[in-house]
Amino acid sequence: MEKLFQLQMEEIKEADILIGIPSYNNVRTIGHVVRAAIAGLAKYFPGARSVLVNSDGGSTDGTQEEVQRIQIEDFKTILTSHPVHPVHKIITPYHGIPGKGSAFRTIFEAAAKLKAKACAVVDSDLRSITPGWMELLLRPIYEEGFEYVAPLYARHKFDGTITNSIVYPLTRALYGKRVRQPIGGDFGFSGKLAEHYLTQKVWETDVARFGIDIWMTTLAIAEGYRVCQAYLGAKIHDAKDPGSDLGPMFTQVVSSVYSLMENYQPLWKEVKESQPVSTFGFHYEVGLEPVPVNLGRMIANFRLGVRDLMEIWRKALLPETVLWLESIGRLSDEAFSFPQDLWVRLIYDFALAYQTGPVHREHLLKSMIPLYLGRVASFVKENQDSSANEVEQKIESLCKSFEEMKPYLIERWGEVLRR
Amino acid sequence: MSEIWRSAIVASFDKFLGKVITFLPNLLAMITILIIGLITAWVIKTILLRFLKAIQFDRVSERWGLTHVLSKGGVTYSPTSLLSRFFYWIIVLVTLILGINALEVAATHHFVTQFFNYLPHLFAGILIMVIGYLVAVFLGQAALIAAVNAQMESARLLSRCIRWFLIILSLTMALYHLGIAERVIVTAFSITFGGIVLALAVAFGWGGKELAKDFLERLYKRRERGDEEKDRISHL
Repeated sequence: MEKLFQLQMEEIKEADILIGIPSYNNVRTIGHVVRAAIAGLAKYFPGARSVLVNSDGGSTDGTQEEVQRIQIEDFKTILTSHPVHPVHKIITPYHGIPGKGSAFRTIFEAAAKLKAKACAVVDSDLRSITPGWMELLLRPIYEEGFEYVAPLYARHKFDGTITNSIVYPLTRALYGKRVRQPIGGDFGFSGKLAEHYLTQKVWETDVARFGIDIWMTTLAIAEGYRVCQAYLGAKIHDAKDPGSDLGPMFTQVVSSVYSLMENYQPLWKEVKESQPVSTFGFHYEVGLEPVPVNLGRMIANFRLGVRDLMEIWRKALLPETVLWLESIGRLSDEAFSFPQDLWVRLIYDFALAYQTGPVHREHLLKSMIPLYLGRVASFVKENQDSSANEVEQKIESLCKSFEEMKPYLIERWGEVLRR
Repeated sequence: MSEIWRSAIVASFDKFLGKVITFLPNLLAMITILIIGLITAWVIKTILLRFLKAIQFDRVSERWGLTHVLSKGGVTYSPTSLLSRFFYWIIVLVTLILGINALEVAATHHFVTQFFNYLPHLFAGILIMVIGYLVAVFLGQAALIAAVNAQMESARLLSRCIRWFLIILSLTMALYHLGIAERVIVTAFSITFGGIVLALAVAFGWGGKELAKDFLERLYKRRERGDEEKDRISHL
């Protein structure tokens, strides 16, 4: 832990609320995020002792200076009353593997050290964050006795495809809680849970990178903490090329989900059905920008996978599944369709292969990307003219398939691991 | 006369008996070495077999493609069984040579010294080939997946080129290490590798000038088109 960071915490001693903002070269947006957080704390928690921790990955664009500089000079312009306590700011670099998870670890350390009652973490590239997010992420913990708050966003029907096609349905089927955005990026959690996270030895794995979100959510659910979700409205990020990060994003998230399956197998094998979780916040419709999708490229990538990666897939899949994939690979662009049942079976079969290891784990996960793109292409194609609600119904149907086919997973899991 | 005959026979018999008495301890030593060696080989084989089973060596071998290669080569043993048998026979061989050496026959002495001098090279050579093969399979597979995800049509060709290049490189290194036709091996490798690079350069720059131009143009256009048609899906 940095000496200055430690000294600052010793000076502050204790806090009621802690806001964590992980960052890396986010000078364009972090000012807005810090302002929204400070305003939210002043408005909704004026009597609480609050600390804002910026855990930075070594930004070179002045992100840290921007956080230091930002303050609300005149609260009268945004609030009717003045805050009782000022918000302390701690800006510190994090250590360990470069990634979001390592940044969170520093935030957890601060929360534990300051004995914070309620904490929230928000992304530093957010453009749509408002002071209201602080209330939604913190109040369920600060006043309602919950220990983990997952976000619930209004998103474009084709956004969040890893969430919609893998993480949400699989987490729901396994652990039995319907947390709609388990890897949303902005969360609320109790100081007690932060301390629990710190005791886990996962900081050299994919959890230290993109895997942190699903790890936090799964741990909270699986270890019996009270979990809820809060509707935050639209989530708009700083513009970046979403395709550029697909490889590491996909492998890190999916490897975290599969590793957690290994850890919690006695638990999820007993879960028979899923239950909704409490939801806070006022639900409203928002206008969302259209999302262009290059279907031809996704289908072409899938076909290339069928042609060249079948040798690897064969080691993970049953012969009939291989035949099914080959037949889909022969379909024209117009007739292309990737059935939901096949997708569920693939996710389960790859989860088994991840445990039994017929292929190197990283290779196995990377080889799934063409399959994922095939499924996304099919989903987009089927829902071109559907409304957001209709698409949500389709996702619900996918989740039910995951739940219905869970006995298949349990049966094969036992069979394969007994060998 | 008969006295001369008798003393000659007795002397000859004494000489033979002396030789037998000198040789007998060596023979006993050889038999002891063989018995101890065979027992040691069996014990090590059993321990190794259990250890490899405990660390799931067969699964790891399957992951690295070793099982596939063995089955392709008609080997019916599992990698665990094969490795433990390999060490068993190595110990038996070493025991046999130690046993022969214990006889202290002048003719075998030189052979035994040479064998033991060569043994480390043999092990190193085998190790280079095995590690080289495993690295080749791993990197070939990694290249294949990366190329497919980058939408390269010639992904499989690229993967095979990488795999074979590394296999040939490790084979060359192993043969060089074993001291088998060192100069021929290095020269053959240099000529083959240099020849391939030269052939590709000539083919691409001269023979396939138009093709290369066409390929680069298409690649450039596709990249430009790709920028225009980029997905805006946020995957997480």
